[in-house]
Amino acid sequence: MQKGLALMFPAVLFGFLVATQWATLALPGSQDVGIRYIDPLSGTVTRLQEEQTSLKAQLTDIRAKLDDLQRTAAAQSGAVRDLQVRIEDLKATAGLTEARGEGVVVTVDTVRAPGAKEQERGVCLAPDLTDIVNAAWRGGARAVAVNDERLVVSSSVYCVGATIVVNGTIVSAPFAVSAVGPPATILGVIDDPTQLRDLKRRRDQLAIDLRVTRSPLLTLPPYTGPLSARSAKPE
Amino acid sequence: MRTRTGALAVAVMALFLGVLVVSQFRSREAYSRTLQQETPEQLTRLIADLNDRNRQLRSEIFDLRLALELAQGSIASGRGSLEGSEKQLAQLRVFAARSRVTGPGIGVRVDGQFDERALSDLVNELRNAGAEAIAVNESRVGPRTWFGPGSSGTLVVDGREVRGPWMVRAIGDPDVLYVAMTRTGGIVGQFELIYQRTRFTVGRETTLDLPAVSPP
Repeated sequence: MQKGLALMFPAVLFGFLVATQWATLALPGSQDVGIRYIDPLSGTVTRLQEEQTSLKAQLTDIRAKLDDLQRTAAAQSGAVRDLQVRIEDLKATAGLTEARGEGVVVTVDTVRAPGAKEQERGVCLAPDLTDIVNAAWRGGARAVAVNDERLVVSSSVYCVGATIVVNGTIVSAPFAVSAVGPPATILGVIDDPTQLRDLKRRRDQLAIDLRVTRSPLLTLPPYTGPLSARSAKPE
Repeated sequence: MRTRTGALAVAVMALFLGVLVVSQFRSREAYSRTLQQETPEQLTRLIADLNDRNRQLRSEIFDLRLALELAQGSIASGRGSLEGSEKQLAQLRVFAARSRVTGPGIGVRVDGQFDERALSDLVNELRNAGAEAIAVNESRVGPRTWFGPGSSGTLVVDGREVRGPWMVRAIGDPDVLYVAMTRTGGIVGQFELIYQRTRFTVGRETTLDLPAVSPP
């Protein structure tokens, strides 16, 4: 047993080394010129993203407190109660409440297996995601999210290099577009040969991994970003 | 012999554990790995975008704290928070695209061949630049809006045919939106290369009036 323990440490170390080495090998382009700036800059990105997560949590917390107060107020006054019903309805329409129901999940990722086309690595998948999102709305989805980011009227999906930003938040591969709504009609649009042609062609060339699954119950989180409009005023 | 097999088993388990620890660590840092592949310019852009977003979040937190204090005060005095609720309703009607809105912004006129994916990209780019309300001709873009091809060169917005030339209007900071659309390598520049016979005209507007989203 003593011997076993003595062996354990070098073995763990060895495992660690093998895995890190493997991960380093899998990083193309890490020898580029601007390398000396990469670490501090990507460190700042990570820190800002973490700060954003905490700011969003604070915002969610304040919104919940305001909602509680409004419910109390609704109990005090009939006029507030009427407004509250309309507020809840609009929130659901706008993507500010959790959405649950059956639906479809489409996942996209670059193929990491050996033999995958080199040019598909570091490729921007944002246009593919917006195409899938468009197909989901077209198929009658009530709610759509990309990973954990719920899509609302102000949402954009874009790339900086191969990094994808949704609602101003960095999302990680694999990317999942989840749509709550009638699965048959959503799948009808996705399976339509005139839709998502680019994606399907690249899937057939084994350049990307594309999976479509029907789900009996999806739960999409509410949007947690900013709402206020500075320029647009109601007429 | 028994100890040797035991040691071997422990070693195999430990190797497995070591790999597991690292891969676990790696998956937690999933986007960090992608970041390592970006150029300094791209990382700088991400930093600027994240800073912008965090500033918006802070300002919204500040506004809501004030609203919360006001609501607490009025409820404590038994007046209810009618005013607070009315304000929230008005804000949500704008956010859900359920009310007509007015404000400054830009107009992008597209005259010639164009398609639904390009229109969707243009709308995505306008949102990305901070557009608060968008309309394609007289169709307001709502939270669930989709784009499709129409018959003989027309486009479809939420099932309704929209004929060209298309006027895409967006309310927001006119300078920010204008620069985002027209910068070198920006979306309009890309469109001009792809749709060479189509004319794209971008202009700042002091007042735009956009309709509410049409009922389904």
